[in-house]
Amino acid sequence: MPIRIVTTHLEFEGQVEEVRVVLEGEEPPAWGPDTPFQVVGKPTARVDARERVTGAAEYSYDVQLPGMLTAAGLRSPHPHARISRLDASSALAVPGVRAVYSHLNAGDFINPSSGKPVFGNELLYHGDLVALVVAETPEQAREATRAIDVAYEPLPFVTAPDAALAANAPMVNTAVPSNTISDEYPQVYQRGDVEAALAQAEVTIETRMETPAALHNSLETHGGAASWDGSRLTVWSSTQGVFGARQQAAAALGLPMTAVQVITQYMGGGFGSKLGVHRSGLLAAYASRQLGLPVKYMLDRTEENLDAGNRPPSVQAYRLGAAKDGTLAALDLAVIHNVGANGLWSSPVALPAKELYQCANVRTTDRAARTNLGTLAAFRAPGVVEGIAGLEVAIDALATELGMDSLELRRKNFAERYQLLDRPYARKMLLDCYRIGAERIGWETRDAEERRYPGGRSGHLRRGIGMASQLWGGDGGPPAQAIAKLLPDGTAVIITGTQDIGTGTRTVLAQIAAEELGYPLERVRVELGETAHGVFSPMSGGSMTLASVGPAVRMAAVEARKELTEVIGQLAEAPADALDIRNATVFNRETGAEMGGVSTYLEQLGGHEITAKGMRGPNAEDVTVRTFGAQFAEVEVDIGTGAVRVVRIVAVHDCGRIINPLTYSSQIEGGIIQGLGFALTEQRIVDERLGMVMNPNLGDYKAPTIRDIPQIDIVLLNEPNVVANTLGVLGAGEPPIIPTPGAIANAVGHALGKTVTRLPLTPDRVLDMLSTTTERS
Amino acid sequence: MSSPSSNAASVSTSASTTTIHLTVNGRTRTLSVEPRRTLLDALREDLHLTGAKPGCNMGQCGACTVLLDGEAVYSCLALAIECQHQAITTIEGLAHDDQLDPVQQAFIDHDALQCGFCTPGQVLALKSLLLRDPHPDDDAIERAMAGNLCRCGAYPKILAAARSLAGRAS
Amino acid sequence: MRPFEHLTVQAADEAIQALAGGDGGNTRLIAGGTDLLPLLKDGLVNPGRLIDIKPARALRHLTFDADGSLRIGALTTLAEIERSSQLAERLPLLRQSVVDAATPQLRAMATVGGNLLQRSRCWYFRGPFDCWLKGGTVCYMRDGENKYAAIFDQGPCRSAHPSDLAPALVALDATVSISGPAGSRTTPVAEFLAPPTNDERVEYRLRPDEMVTEIRIPAEAIAGHGVYLKAMDRRAWAFALVGAAAQVTILDGKVARARLVFSAVANVPWRATAAEALLVGQTLTPDLAAQAADAAIAGASPLAHNGYKVPLARELARRAILAAANLWTETN
Repeated sequence: MPIRIVTTHLEFEGQVEEVRVVLEGEEPPAWGPDTPFQVVGKPTARVDARERVTGAAEYSYDVQLPGMLTAAGLRSPHPHARISRLDASSALAVPGVRAVYSHLNAGDFINPSSGKPVFGNELLYHGDLVALVVAETPEQAREATRAIDVAYEPLPFVTAPDAALAANAPMVNTAVPSNTISDEYPQVYQRGDVEAALAQAEVTIETRMETPAALHNSLETHGGAASWDGSRLTVWSSTQGVFGARQQAAAALGLPMTAVQVITQYMGGGFGSKLGVHRSGLLAAYASRQLGLPVKYMLDRTEENLDAGNRPPSVQAYRLGAAKDGTLAALDLAVIHNVGANGLWSSPVALPAKELYQCANVRTTDRAARTNLGTLAAFRAPGVVEGIAGLEVAIDALATELGMDSLELRRKNFAERYQLLDRPYARKMLLDCYRIGAERIGWETRDAEERRYPGGRSGHLRRGIGMASQLWGGDGGPPAQAIAKLLPDGTAVIITGTQDIGTGTRTVLAQIAAEELGYPLERVRVELGETAHGVFSPMSGGSMTLASVGPAVRMAAVEARKELTEVIGQLAEAPADALDIRNATVFNRETGAEMGGVSTYLEQLGGHEITAKGMRGPNAEDVTVRTFGAQFAEVEVDIGTGAVRVVRIVAVHDCGRIINPLTYSSQIEGGIIQGLGFALTEQRIVDERLGMVMNPNLGDYKAPTIRDIPQIDIVLLNEPNVVANTLGVLGAGEPPIIPTPGAIANAVGHALGKTVTRLPLTPDRVLDMLSTTTERS
Repeated sequence: MSSPSSNAASVSTSASTTTIHLTVNGRTRTLSVEPRRTLLDALREDLHLTGAKPGCNMGQCGACTVLLDGEAVYSCLALAIECQHQAITTIEGLAHDDQLDPVQQAFIDHDALQCGFCTPGQVLALKSLLLRDPHPDDDAIERAMAGNLCRCGAYPKILAAARSLAGRAS
Repeated sequence: MRPFEHLTVQAADEAIQALAGGDGGNTRLIAGGTDLLPLLKDGLVNPGRLIDIKPARALRHLTFDADGSLRIGALTTLAEIERSSQLAERLPLLRQSVVDAATPQLRAMATVGGNLLQRSRCWYFRGPFDCWLKGGTVCYMRDGENKYAAIFDQGPCRSAHPSDLAPALVALDATVSISGPAGSRTTPVAEFLAPPTNDERVEYRLRPDEMVTEIRIPAEAIAGHGVYLKAMDRRAWAFALVGAAAQVTILDGKVARARLVFSAVANVPWRATAAEALLVGQTLTPDLAAQAADAAIAGASPLAHNGYKVPLARELARRAILAAANLWTETN
């Protein structure tokens, strides 16, 4: 096949990256709007559901090998301290303990992601790693962490971002002379002249939004099991990216990539926090190599919540200027990020402000503070969840100020083009989403007396309806490869190097392959989650798995089918293009005659397996691909207790063609429920005086339960986006969480006649809002 | 179900390893454990039944749910040595031969799972409810399932699966 | 969790004998274990020996006696209270107090006796802080992250009592039967649960060689009607922000007996006696309920982040009083 190298552009969570891609052969033409389907687009139960409901699915946490040891971490009980003494002798005396690692004996073990030692003697946050115990049983390991004798010299600390950026602030890390990420901060984006436009605007408003640190709390914690056999390291890592994990593990242990294999068959949630092998996986690998025995290190829940990342807190200050008719004239946003002790990037909180509404004069300023808290990690639409909440609440406040319907205000300022690069969107269905959602929720009657006061005006219940918009990339991109193998018995194997992190990747890839091969779904097996046997696929993040790997799988299947019909044609002495394959059976397209199952031909080939390769082609140039959507929320607030109940969410998202409506709706529901948690219940709580996290557990950090969920109405648009990729799909992982907090905040604001300035809307906050007198007119 | 150790007298055990007998999924299993070993760790570490998951080890997530005499409990908060006279059912014991339990089948059909880590616990929590109350209403279902967190947010589908088993359309 | 010896007993007297070693609290009883195991795992208690009292079946019962009083064995689980049709009919307050407590799994394991002996949920107590309740010198809650703290000041510690069941028991004038080497004693739940003091940094009054065997609720308390209302920051599986138990007896149109007891506003269940006094002898009206609710929160001294508990407690009190008399509607 001809080989080409092309340059294409990838967007990952707001950042555009140029990449060079090797392409072999040609992708098939995109599935059109009228392509008929047998498997694609049908609600399909997960192909690996049985393993998941019977306990047969093996997660990293479940890996057990003969002689396997268990590790447990000792974590810093200070926000900033130096280890002045560490004596592990008592810990080593605990029966079953095999090793204790710390900066004293493992100080040369470097984390390749940061270039810094895994064990330092300067601890930068509550939960930073002090030492690792490896023992025969989990109980022994944990008990021994308490037996390590450590003396800490407390150092000055800072946890509030504005304090960290102030002159003479304590240094978060005494080895780093600044508390900001780099000299690229503050980052300023501007177009037009914001100050002049604000000065001239007929109406101006200012709003503020503070969002909390949210903790991922994947039910499977970070970690891995590692086994070193003297020449080869195998790591069962709970990761969203086996290839990245392999690269990190190889670099950390100084091994060639051939000597490392990473396996992730099943993983218990990541939500962005598991893009690599994590320090815990590296430590399992390190200890296994040192001790010559398999070692498992899965974080406990407290370690997880202190040291596995977070959606970092944001403080957003908006200034909006508009004409009396609602035309947006100026948008100014200042964001302060709190990226934790080792943050290397800040989230695109300002992205919606730059892009969502037509506005000639925009300025965004991002300041980023390092603090003595755990470091940020990507968390399902990082930044954009927070930014949409801030911006959409500001738009509602502007609508109130203007005396306009807020949805009308949004329509009026609809952005036709992608303003950052002044080019078109491949497609923008946002106005459709507004229209459909408004109709479903009953937007027109949102101010009706009987709707707003379910128990009458003298009662204690208030209802409100609010909405927010969604934008996200999700078009994926290269590189991503797949192999299709057609086995003699009429089954097929699809090999990729992606992983199914719970989104249903195995199932949609099997559907795509089955469709193109003309095989029934149950004859197609998808192999993924292994570096040793898989072919390269990107990490599962940024809502890009299906849009990246799916087209590669489709191309592999198309190529395999071509070869299959060629082979059958020669065996049957019929022209290949006259052959059709349906249900793994061969038909003569012209005569309609059935010519037997594919296996009757393949079995004649002495075990030969038809093998074909597919790869994801380049992204379209000169156009911006986005998913857009909107959610509408109806809430009921008990003004006596401050309790907020979300009654209903209507979700309308353009995620392109829907391969599997069943798992798609699960994704949408899951995003909404996480968004609801962010809006109402979830927050890391820090004692600023002590610099300590108060709730690093699932008792005090409150993720939603089944009783917290609303009625969720999902509108399935299912419009293929033929510009995006050959499947017409867009990612659906992140879009559904993006508008939920903003929609709920606006619904609560509507119910109470006030503007929300802080999330989450816990009862204490709502009661405080009710006791303040600033009513929205 | 017969129990190998007597239920009639005080039993004293030293802090070191001791032999216990657990009835798991209808089979009597003999293990050598320390008294501090939880039922969860006994199932996973000693019996290699890893369907019950350690999500928090503190009774705050529900992923370790198993049945004790049909009652859903958190196996991370039970000491294995104290479970010698009860029938323990784990997710591995719910299907018989190739026949899935109806709860498992309903979870598959309704896509009541995503990453699947909490799923064994969810299935067993619902099983426990249906053993007590074959036709629960929504309130009863939600109350019975409130002790099992699902971070992926499969709750609407879990509710749909439960409703189908309760004999009601979702 | 450190290694420990393990002993299984079949009856209360065996447990008392085993406790009598006088090993200074090194031996602990274990029943449901839902609080003890987390404490062991966090290293907050480190006994050398555990005595499993679950096989003592005689301590697991719900019995209405001929005189109309109720006895509840200490090993009765919260689930058994929840599922008792007799209780649902005759003592709805008690059943209501447990249905939103914790989760089905925890209620299936947790016992009534253990519920009264559960330790503070204060995150400074549970976390890596040398707080006063653990023998330190400072209550970090007082000037720290205190949104869940007590609003009534009862001494050095500001942790809020977490039990939903205990306020209901106090509202029902329940007593607790305690066995020890010297025999048995009975004490009101309202006295058994007492704020920690310098000498006894614990929320109950039980000697290390004693055990709780039974709860008794007198017939005259059962004669009334009551409710338990609980505010949470999610809709399930949360300790109360505030809980309010009200039990009211109305005779000839007037309040003959009233009890109003809060959870999570003080170190122990907080009985609002001033509110009760306003109600007794009166015809219960929405206005009177509101006055009583105001009286119930008099004297509260909230901290920096728990001021919301004051209006919340007032509102729950108002609703609970009205609901106990079947006067609460959505339009109140």
